[in-house]
Amino acid sequence: MSDTLGVARPRLDAPEKVTGATRFAADGYVHGLLHARPVLATEPHARIRGFDTDATLAVPGVVAVLSAADLPLAGTGTDRTSEPLAREEVVFAGQPVALVVAETEAAAEDGAELLVVDYEPLEAVVDVEAAMEPGAALARTVEDSDDEGGDLESVHGQVDKGQEDDAGEQLSGNVLDRVTREQGDVAAAFAASDAVVEATFRTPWVYQAYIEPQVCTAWLEPSGTLVVSTSTQGSFVTRRELARAFDLPLDRVRVIAEPLGGAFGGKFALVEPLAVGAALALQRPVRLVLTRSEDFAATNPASAQVTHLKVAARADGTLTAIEARMIVDRGTNAGWGVEGATSLLVAGPYRWQAHDLRGYGVQTNRFTFGAYRAPGAPTAAFALESLLDELARELDLDPIELRLKNAVVEGDVGVSGNPFPTIGAVEVLERLREHPLWAQRNSLPDGEAVGMAAGHWPGAMEPASAVCRVDADGTMTVVTSVADMSGVNSGFAVIAAAAFGLPPEQVRVVTADTASAPYAGASGGSKVTYTVGPAVIRAAEAAREKLLAAAAQELEIAPGDLEVVDGVVRAVGAPDRSMTVQEVASKALRFGGRYEPIEGHGGSAQTSGAPSVAAHLSHVRVDRQTGEVTVLRHVIAQDVGRALNPALVEGQMRGGAVQGIGWALFEQLDHDEDGRLLTGSFLDYAIPTAERVPEIDTLIVEVPAPDGPFGAKGIGEAPVVGAPAAVANAVARAAGTRLYELPMTPPRVWQALRS
Amino acid sequence: MPDTVTLLVNGEERSLEVEGRTLLVHALRDGLGLTGAHIGCDTSQCGACTVLLDGRAVKSCTVLAHQAEGRDVTTIEGLAPDGELHPIQRAFVEHHGLQCGFCTPGVILTAADLLSRGGSPSDEEIRHALRGNLCRCTGYQGIVESIRAVGAAS
Ligand code: FES
Ligand code: FES
Repeated sequence: MSDTLGVARPRLDAPEKVTGATRFAADGYVHGLLHARPVLATEPHARIRGFDTDATLAVPGVVAVLSAADLPLAGTGTDRTSEPLAREEVVFAGQPVALVVAETEAAAEDGAELLVVDYEPLEAVVDVEAAMEPGAALARTVEDSDDEGGDLESVHGQVDKGQEDDAGEQLSGNVLDRVTREQGDVAAAFAASDAVVEATFRTPWVYQAYIEPQVCTAWLEPSGTLVVSTSTQGSFVTRRELARAFDLPLDRVRVIAEPLGGAFGGKFALVEPLAVGAALALQRPVRLVLTRSEDFAATNPASAQVTHLKVAARADGTLTAIEARMIVDRGTNAGWGVEGATSLLVAGPYRWQAHDLRGYGVQTNRFTFGAYRAPGAPTAAFALESLLDELARELDLDPIELRLKNAVVEGDVGVSGNPFPTIGAVEVLERLREHPLWAQRNSLPDGEAVGMAAGHWPGAMEPASAVCRVDADGTMTVVTSVADMSGVNSGFAVIAAAAFGLPPEQVRVVTADTASAPYAGASGGSKVTYTVGPAVIRAAEAAREKLLAAAAQELEIAPGDLEVVDGVVRAVGAPDRSMTVQEVASKALRFGGRYEPIEGHGGSAQTSGAPSVAAHLSHVRVDRQTGEVTVLRHVIAQDVGRALNPALVEGQMRGGAVQGIGWALFEQLDHDEDGRLLTGSFLDYAIPTAERVPEIDTLIVEVPAPDGPFGAKGIGEAPVVGAPAAVANAVARAAGTRLYELPMTPPRVWQALRS
Repeated sequence: MPDTVTLLVNGEERSLEVEGRTLLVHALRDGLGLTGAHIGCDTSQCGACTVLLDGRAVKSCTVLAHQAEGRDVTTIEGLAPDGELHPIQRAFVEHHGLQCGFCTPGVILTAADLLSRGGSPSDEEIRHALRGNLCRCTGYQGIVESIRAVGAAS
């Protein structure tokens, strides 16, 4: 076992991915396939008067033009699953209003270009702060009479929602949700502090930018079963959402989660209702592959946020009070928003004596908010960690020491009102402090600086199960329903190998579809390894019991006196009395065999969380002439509980850090004042390229999670959280002036340098 | 009007019916079933569709199928025709040069072009060569390490 866990190994799927053998969701051949092209609204807010379909239908190969009324939808809800095409009211520019379905992709494209949509424009709500004012125009005029779409919230994380605020604040009907957390006398705590700092921070809409655009293929089997082959983070949640939207029995919907070409929170039942609706309406297989432009315009990026934050400390660096008012632009998402998460996470992994934290979820005519890696957290950390650096500066304290002095440990009560479980905040900060870059920070050339920041993600939980099956050749197959977003399957292989006693090379992992897979929740919230991992352990142990029972009879040794090592069952203390796993399995798996198949099922229902903390050092250079910021070097330290496969863990840490650098410097979905998208392609929306990011040093810290599989935690989200703030703190030092808005583009930095 | 184009794909002569406007990437994917060339954008930015055309990396979404008439096309499926992994592919497996794998075929073929020019490229040269290949998962470091390892071994 010791040489199974903690060893850097290639991903299980690497060989087929480097040879082009992997079939992604757009790749499979389907007989008689039709191709759909969405027509996207050009107006941000309008009523649809009608369509002129003549020219479209005249295109050879076009089979149908479908509008909302043509899809066999069950309800009248306004969530994107219930209303995949705008019914009467368009609520953002980019919203799908019709589908053109054709025999070829080219015909569908030609047909879509010719479709004429007649709009009656309505006042667009674009400014999220103005939208909150009493009397503001409403971003949606049709009431949602049937909104059950809130279930998707639960897949992203366990963040409690705080108390409802009924303080009598006058707000418009665009404010869909208010969250308040208060404790202690905040005013008195500020008054008694030695340093108080406050500022307003802004972050834009940010796009997940998975390189595989959203895609789904749907067809009806002759039996009547609807088959959905899709790029999704969750097969069971997609099945439930589709069954709800189209009023189908669960067992008539079979969802196949194909290999994911990236997702980062954005792939949940968004395009599936379109493909399914068309397939049901036309009774033919339909594929919808979004173009990149459509994916930019029509999907569900991370919310823009405005954060007013005020924090204080005593002269010795003890944090006293925190007050936040956080405005979250939900766009058109009436079902859920991150105001609860972000107003919780803004307190960071630190102790406070008093807090007053408010979150507002506001609807506007921009996109539909969706999850993006650690939803609500990078923005919260950007605000908090910027001000912690300001406090350190005012009090003349070392920024890491300030944070260490206040870092939570197990048992400290957070602003959620609950005690923190095991958490590695102190260990991560101490490890980061040892990195040579921190010592070098005071001897850098002019225009360069090192900044630091921390961030955390609470993790999430959902019951899960797994099956382990040993075949007659002695290899094991682990079966789950998990969509492998981040390499979790490769983690399951070493978990199963360690728990059973096989070399990891003899374990494969398959993602089964909803017709046959054991249940697990969607991949999101950094919960897969933490919740499905223990199920895999129990399934492997159950299979091992079958193995030992059979081997005990064969070897005439009690099961308790047997051990399984490297694929061999042997007597403890007498290793030459042994059989291979393959020998035992082949005796079980044959006609007339006398032993039960070597198979096990395991489940888990975690009830304790396992937050992960990551802290960053970012070394930047600011060009005073152009305002351009270059990240020269970046370090991330993260508590991962236990690194089951350090190579994959480092991959998550690096990928997260670089996405955080994207938040910091490059990425923003910009609208014009009328609500039309200005940055709707990779030409205008810059994600980090190889030339624009540095090497990322990784420091793995292991503070085992008591209930995690071999101590492991979910680690996918924490690495992005503090990265933008670390870059911002570095820029503040290098430029001698702080920026309060992301991304820190050259024009903004140039402006700041001159003001 | 569809008409026939003949390409030398992964060492084999292949003829297929295409329209005048058909892009090479669609001819490969839809016409020949070579789905290792991925489509990640519609503005020639992402590089997921990269193939080798007469040995040089090109984005196959920027080339008409007709323009490739009679020319030598290597896709990811043809990089190692004998079933073994090509040294670059092996390096990507061993040095963790991929996560989701969607960018990977394009990245590997870009690397194949770079490395075919000889020598052992510096990290800076590698990163420069990759400027037209977007990867959202890895932060690029595993990719650079994989390519560096092949360069150093040659
Ligand atoms: S699909 Fe060719 S560059 Fe993106
Ligand atoms: S590995 Fe996912 S885009 Fe590169």
